[in-house]
Amino acid sequence: MDQQTNLPSIGIVSVGKLGNLIPRVVAANIQGILDVPVSIIGEIEIPEETFILERRQYDAGLMLKILEEVSTNHFCILGVTYVDLCIPVFTYVFGEAQLGGRTAIVSTYRLQRGELGETISESVFYERVVKVALHEIGHVFSLYHCENEYCLMRFSSKLGALDSLPILFCDRCLFLLKRLIRS
Amino acid sequence: MGHIRILVVDDELIVRESLIGWLKKGGYDVDPASSGMEALKRLKEKEYDLIFLDIKMPDMSGIEVLKNLKESSPNSLVVMITAYGSVETAVEAMKLGASDYLMKPFEPEHLVLLVEKLLQQKKLIEENLFLKEQVSKRTKYQELIGSASCMQKLFEIIEEVASVDSPVLIRGETGTGKELIAKAIHAKSPRRFGPFVAINCGAFPESLLETELFGHEVGAFTGAIRARKGRIEIAHGGTLFLDEIGEIPLKMQVDLLRVLEEKRFQRVGGREYIPVDFRFISATHKNLEEEIRLGRFRKDFYFRLNVIEIQVPPLRERKEDISLLAQHFLQKFRRETNKPVTTISKDALNLLYSYDWPGNVRELENAIERAVVLAKSRILTKEDFSFLLRPKLLENQVDEPKSLEEVERRHIEKILNETDWNISRAAKILGLNRTTLHAKIKKYGLSHHPRTN
Repeated sequence: MDQQTNLPSIGIVSVGKLGNLIPRVVAANIQGILDVPVSIIGEIEIPEETFILERRQYDAGLMLKILEEVSTNHFCILGVTYVDLCIPVFTYVFGEAQLGGRTAIVSTYRLQRGELGETISESVFYERVVKVALHEIGHVFSLYHCENEYCLMRFSSKLGALDSLPILFCDRCLFLLKRLIRS
Repeated sequence: MGHIRILVVDDELIVRESLIGWLKKGGYDVDPASSGMEALKRLKEKEYDLIFLDIKMPDMSGIEVLKNLKESSPNSLVVMITAYGSVETAVEAMKLGASDYLMKPFEPEHLVLLVEKLLQQKKLIEENLFLKEQVSKRTKYQELIGSASCMQKLFEIIEEVASVDSPVLIRGETGTGKELIAKAIHAKSPRRFGPFVAINCGAFPESLLETELFGHEVGAFTGAIRARKGRIEIAHGGTLFLDEIGEIPLKMQVDLLRVLEEKRFQRVGGREYIPVDFRFISATHKNLEEEIRLGRFRKDFYFRLNVIEIQVPPLRERKEDISLLAQHFLQKFRRETNKPVTTISKDALNLLYSYDWPGNVRELENAIERAVVLAKSRILTKEDFSFLLRPKLLENQVDEPKSLEEVERRHIEKILNETDWNISRAAKILGLNRTTLHAKIKKYGLSHHPRTN
């Protein structure tokens, strides 16, 4: 808990060299939308053990476990990485989180281009990263997927679906989220 | 659709965890099973809407589990999870009733669409079942249930009989649902807005039956401190149903005959004639013709009752209805007891078919109630109905002794064996002195054959 505000704080960690801009944009948006303290913790190296050789991807579940050790001062640790993430049953994931746990992670790997590989504007890219980050943080606060097509908690497996979402939670999810944050 | 329950069966922990993790984020109620055996155990306890089942597992293959659960959980939809290269097995699984298959790792989009499609399918199946139930009035007529041709005929007769006002005599063995038929006639008749008054004539001694039927005036007998309406009077405008009519004493048969003919009666101890208008239905399991021959039933009363006769078939003559009735009672007692028992296994149904049901539908109802109350799992098996076998086996195994001497001989032998031929103890239990016991052993030629291990 943050000592001053008594609200749960979120710490952002770069997993691998990502630069300053992405974590800052993500932090500002989380703070603006969720109204909780957000701090940028720093950077860790990409954990080698998370690499799955036969898939040439990184194990998102294992990354979450490693992130748990990064800091104990934050209610939630959000990792941001540029490597391609997957889980055993899915060919890829944009992000992953422990439902009702402490950690979440976002990968920029598949968010940098359009569905057909075309280039996209920087603003669309940052919007995508922020949307996935907020979605995964929602799971950390125990939110389930939402069926509302204008809610960030809607599950988007494709970029088109992700792009069509506003950077907003529906009234129901926002109400639950705020209540969970304050409890 | 309400709460969705999903079972994930996979021996690989990471696969299980990641699939369950994703499904839980969808708000589904998800349980894990790490082996085929564990899956079957869980399926005994709970019903699942959707089951993800890995094809390759060490203890029991997904195909074997699928075969098993298609019998125990026919309403669950199954998705087989396969690894690259086992598509042929997946196709075999589809032939065995699996709804779809996923090759791991799968595209996130693929899983989303599949879950949506299957839950939609499940919803349609449930709606279909509900609608089938709604339109199946041919198998459910009022409170009566039966698809057998004899029952279909019975429903037609009830329909015809209900519209006329003539007396009806319902004949059939005990437990066949005679009162339900009377109720159905009443419910279909123009008198349905009037009362349906039933009385079991066999349940009252003569004097009480009279006041119960005719009512009484103040002072009609000691203790009659206020006047009371009888069932005949209460039935005014509706239907009067007299069950066990064969039990009515001769004198009262005359009184009732008069009521039926004159449409009026007097209360016990009363002088005034009270006009009544009711439909008269009676029922019996007795052979009334034989009762007439023996002088225990009046012929004129019999002819008055038996204007329209309905014969109710015993359950053993409509065994095709056993499954339907069993399912109906299962639903009923599941709701009443709040126990999650949902299915009757094939071997249990076979046992129910092979039994003779001397107590008819009532006995079947009681059997299902007992099985549901004592059930340990979600599925009623043959073992849950073993109580039906016991008395039958005993009857077959032990031929009942006919003479008192034979009873005595067997009882003495039994006690001697129980006491391991300790004469003093056996004599004490039997309430005899030792000399008498020795004399009886000699008389019946009993001898000790010690058990050898």
